[in-house]
Amino acid sequence: MLRELFEWVEAFPSSLSLRESLNGYVYCLTAHVASMGLVAGLIGFWDMRLAGLALRGIRVTKVQSGLFPLMFVGLGINAITGILMVYAQPMRYYPNFWFWMKMGMLVVVAVNAAYFHMNIEKSVDKWDSDPIAPLQARVAGYVSLAFWFGIIATGRMVAYSGLVPQWWLDLGLGS
Amino acid sequence: MLQPFFEWMQGLRFSAFFLESVWPTPIVQVIHLSTVALFIGSVLVVDLRLLGRGLIDQSISELTRKVQPFLLWSFVVLVLTGIPQMSSTALKQYYSPFFWWKMGMVFFGLIVTFGVRRYIASKEEGYFGLVWPKVIGLTSIALWTSVTIGARLIGLLS
Repeated sequence: MLRELFEWVEAFPSSLSLRESLNGYVYCLTAHVASMGLVAGLIGFWDMRLAGLALRGIRVTKVQSGLFPLMFVGLGINAITGILMVYAQPMRYYPNFWFWMKMGMLVVVAVNAAYFHMNIEKSVDKWDSDPIAPLQARVAGYVSLAFWFGIIATGRMVAYSGLVPQWWLDLGLGS
Repeated sequence: MLQPFFEWMQGLRFSAFFLESVWPTPIVQVIHLSTVALFIGSVLVVDLRLLGRGLIDQSISELTRKVQPFLLWSFVVLVLTGIPQMSSTALKQYYSPFFWWKMGMVFFGLIVTFGVRRYIASKEEGYFGLVWPKVIGLTSIALWTSVTIGARLIGLLS
């Protein structure tokens, strides 16, 4: 079913025109990488504050309110350019192992962030100024750091579509 | 003038190893790209403060001091992981206008980040007025964004 969806998108005239435009994909990829630095760089410092690795003398809520507005701008650009890249070449991404790994990791960081904001963050008043946050918050920080690294790594590996496990190739998604 | 140097780099066994092996190049690229994120984050945290945004409760000097280790070490890792990528494709880099663009922007970026910005941070808040810190913050963001764009275009358009 997923394959049909990707094939359906690939047949769109706008997908075709973006795919065949001289520099459209190049601009999207360049903006995607630049905004990735913005998002992962700022989230990285937020996560490191939670994990107790950086900015320890600054209140957790101040780090959040100070870094999140620009981070969300970067996230918006990153998401739009990422969607456009897949939209332009859906059948290039569909059989790509690293693409699906990246998507899986994005789900994990989203769930981790949602869990943090809906549960752990509710008690932030009690540990806002603590240089070392409670264990749950630190774990959330470390999980986010690890998976953001994974997102960057798998994102880079998308270009190496041949360097994948044999079992993935055996699925025959590319044929 | 520099062409013989790039030819020499390209001919090194070290370069051939990276060019002919399967995993070393992607592994180095992954480390390089992850470190780019850390470096950009370290630059932005201070640049935002210079612009009067971000962590405004902290003084510029205090924030610069806190972020400095991340900035410095991430730059060291960027250089170390950049060398094999550059040497293994030395002639491609040499003939790419984006490579020279990137190197020029890195040069100016280093002057602004490790020179001008640190000088601003060494003085009392308000010493340079309201405008100059903002100009430096914007310049720094523009320079490092240009580096990122130039680096990506080496691979895509060269």
